[in-house]
Amino acid sequence: MPRPSVRTLAAVAGTALALAALPAAPALAAVPRAASVPPCPLSALSKAKGTVNITLWHQFPRANEQAIQALTNQFNASQSKIHVSLVNQTTYQDLFNKYVAGLSTGDLPDVVQIEDEGLQQMIDTRSVLPVQSCVNADHYGELGDFVERDLRYYTVKGVLWAMPFNVSAPVFYYNTKAFTKAGLDPSSPPKTLDQVKADAEKLKSSGAVTQAGFGLKNDPWYLQQWLAKTNFTFVNNGNGRNGRATKTTLQNATGLQAFQWMSDMVSGGLAVPNDYLNPSSAVNNLIGIGNGNLAMTIDTSAALGTISQLLASGAYPNVGLGVSPIPSPPGSGGFRVGGAGLYLSTKSSPEKQAAAWQFLKFLDSPASQAQFAAATGYIPNRKSSVTLSAIQDLWARIPGYKVAYDELTSGADNLASAGPVFGDYIGVREAITAAEGKMFNGEKPAAALAEAQSKASATLAAYNARVR
Amino acid sequence: MTAGAPSIAVPGPAPAIVTRPRRSRPGLRLVGRYLLLSVLALVVIFPIYITVVNSLLPAPQIAARPPKFFPSSPIWSTYDKAWSNGHFGHYLFNSAVVTTIIVVGQLLTAILAGYAFAFLKFPFKRTLFVIFLATLMIPFEVTIVQNLTTVVDLGLYDTYAGLALPFLATGFGAFLLRQAFLGIPRDLEDAAALDGYGHWRFLWRVAVPLARPAIGALGVFAFLTAWNQYLWPLLVTKDDRLRTVQIGLRQLRSASIEQVNVTFAGVVIAVIPLAILLIVFQKQLIRGLTAGAIKG
Repeated sequence: MPRPSVRTLAAVAGTALALAALPAAPALAAVPRAASVPPCPLSALSKAKGTVNITLWHQFPRANEQAIQALTNQFNASQSKIHVSLVNQTTYQDLFNKYVAGLSTGDLPDVVQIEDEGLQQMIDTRSVLPVQSCVNADHYGELGDFVERDLRYYTVKGVLWAMPFNVSAPVFYYNTKAFTKAGLDPSSPPKTLDQVKADAEKLKSSGAVTQAGFGLKNDPWYLQQWLAKTNFTFVNNGNGRNGRATKTTLQNATGLQAFQWMSDMVSGGLAVPNDYLNPSSAVNNLIGIGNGNLAMTIDTSAALGTISQLLASGAYPNVGLGVSPIPSPPGSGGFRVGGAGLYLSTKSSPEKQAAAWQFLKFLDSPASQAQFAAATGYIPNRKSSVTLSAIQDLWARIPGYKVAYDELTSGADNLASAGPVFGDYIGVREAITAAEGKMFNGEKPAAALAEAQSKASATLAAYNARVR
Repeated sequence: MTAGAPSIAVPGPAPAIVTRPRRSRPGLRLVGRYLLLSVLALVVIFPIYITVVNSLLPAPQIAARPPKFFPSSPIWSTYDKAWSNGHFGHYLFNSAVVTTIIVVGQLLTAILAGYAFAFLKFPFKRTLFVIFLATLMIPFEVTIVQNLTTVVDLGLYDTYAGLALPFLATGFGAFLLRQAFLGIPRDLEDAAALDGYGHWRFLWRVAVPLARPAIGALGVFAFLTAWNQYLWPLLVTKDDRLRTVQIGLRQLRSASIEQVNVTFAGVVIAVIPLAILLIVFQKQLIRGLTAGAIKG
C-alpha cells in the first residue's frame, strides 16, 4: 500500500486545517444511523440540461494515473450526459489536507479518493454523501458480487460510506533461490512467525544471505493484519464500528507475540528493521532481497508489478520470486484490506452527486475493475472480475496477484477482519512505530507494547477531543 | 584595534615554532586547507552528482549494489519523459512568474520597511519593530488556513496573485535590510541632506546602492523559498493550470522502480534555475550574509 512520505510538514498543516475546518459536533452525531443518511438525488441527473461536469481528485502516481485516466476516457466516450475530469493531488496526505482546506474555501471535488484509514476523518468532516444512500435510492443490486471484506471495510453501523476502488493487501515475498541454497523447500514458505524465524536462522547460517534472513518493514499495518487474523480488533468499540474508537487494543496475546517476535528477530540478527516512515528506506527490504542481503519480507501486493518487471530485466539473476500469504500467528480470522475508497460529497450540486454515482458504478463494474487491476496490480474488488480474461491472464503471468486476492476472500468476515476505524491514523502509526523503534534499541517487548498502547490511545483521545 | 589597547602583543615567534623551518608552514597549511575544502566540496557535490547519474541510469541499475557511479550508456530520454510527464513546460513558467512577483514584492517592501526602521523617527518604532521580529517566530503552516480564507475571500483563489500574495512582505526582509541600512554612516545622511536630498532620493541614490549585498542576499533567499514552495501552491490552485514545479516533481514520483530515473531527471530540471541563480549571485549572497552580521 503506498504510504504518504512527506509527513512532518503535512502533519502540522493537516492538524491546523483539521482544527479550523472540522465543525464542532457531538462525536456520536457524526455517525448517523441508516435512517438519517442524506438523500441521494438520483433524478437530478435526468433533469439537468446539457453535460454535467464532475471532478475526481486522486493521488495516483503516473503509471496508475494512466490506468484511471483510460477508464475515465472510456466513460466519457460512452455517453454524453456526464463529463469527468481527474485532478492529481500528489499524495494521500496532501490530498486529504487539500480536501479539508476545500471545506472552508468551497473548492471541493465531486468524487475524492481517500486512503483506507482516512474513513473516520472523512466521516468527521460531515461532508460525505454516503454511497449507501445511492445504493438504496438506485436499488443497486450488485453489492453481492463485491469481495465482502472490501465492503465491510467502508461500512460503519450499517452505512457504506465509500466505494472501495483500489484495493491492496500485504503479501510475503521470498527468494526461492536463496531458499534452495539454504536447504529449505522453496515450495513451502513459512506460514507462522515461528517458521519465519526458523527459516531466517537457516538462511543466515547457511550463508544464503549476507545480512539477515528477513527485512522487517516497521509498519503498524502488519500488526493490524496479525490481530485481524487472530480475531482481535485493533481499536475498541468493535474496531470503531459500533461506536467511536477511544483506545487501541494492542495488549493481547497476538500483540505481545508480534512484539516479542519482532524483538527476537532483530536482536538475534535475523531481521533488519526499516522504518516505513522514512521514504528512502521504504523499499530497502525489496532491494535487499535483490542484492542477496535478505531473502524474505512482507510488503504490499501493489509492488508485484515492479518486482516482476525488474526480475524480467535480468538484473537480478540470483533471485527467484516467491509470493505467499503473510505468515501470521495461526487463527480463523482474515486479513484486512488496504488501498483507498472513493467518496461522494454533499457539497456537490444534486445533479453532480447523481452523475458522480453513475461514474462510481462504472469504475467498480467487473470489466473496469479487471482492466484497472491488470494495469496497476491492485486487487479487483468484484468477484466476477476474476473470471475475466484480463485477470486470468494476469494471474497466469504473475501468480502472486492471486495470493493477495485469496487473502482477502479467505478467513472469517467479522469486526476484526473488517479492519479498524479510528481518527488520527497518522498519529497512531507514529506512536506504534516509535515504540517498536525503542524496542529494537533494547526495550522489553511488553514495555514497548504498553507504551505503544498508551501513546496511541492518547493520540486517539486527543483527536476525539478535537472533533467533539 | 583601538588606541587604548594594552600592548601585550608577543613580539617574536613562540619558541616551539622557531625550531621548525618557517617557510614550509604557509605551504603546508595551504595544502591542508585545500585538502579539507576539497573533501567538504565533495560531500556537498556528491548528492547532486549522484542525482544526475541516477537520472541517466536504467532503473534496475539505480538499485544495484555496489552502486554505479557513472552511467556507461546514459539514457537521455528520461529528461524527455520528465519534461512531458511532469508538465514542466508550464509548471516552470508558473514557478518563474510567481517567484518573480514574490522576489520583487519582498525586495520593495523590505527596502521601504527597513529604511523606515533605520532612518525615520515615528511613534512606537521599537514596538512595531519587535512585532515585525515576532512574526519570524510564527511558522507559515500555522497561518495557512487564515491565509487561504483571506485569499479566497479576496477572490484570488486559483490566480497568480493568490499564489504570491502572502509572501510579498516578510519580517525577515525588513529586519535584514534595517541592519544593512544601520551600517550606513549617519554622516552620509547629513551630507545628502545638505545637497537637498529628501528621504526618497537618499533611499534610492545612497542607501540602496550601499546596501546592495544585503538586498542581493535577500533576493536570492526570497527566490529560493518561493521556488521551493509546495503546500501553498497545492492548496490555492484548482488544477494543473497554475501549479508550480515542486508539485510537478511530486506528481513525477512513482510507485514503480521502473520510473525512478525519470523522477531524478525531474529533480535535475527543477534544480537547474536554482543552480544558475546561486552561481551568478554567489558573491552577493556571501557578502550579504556576512554584511548583515557586522553591525547589530
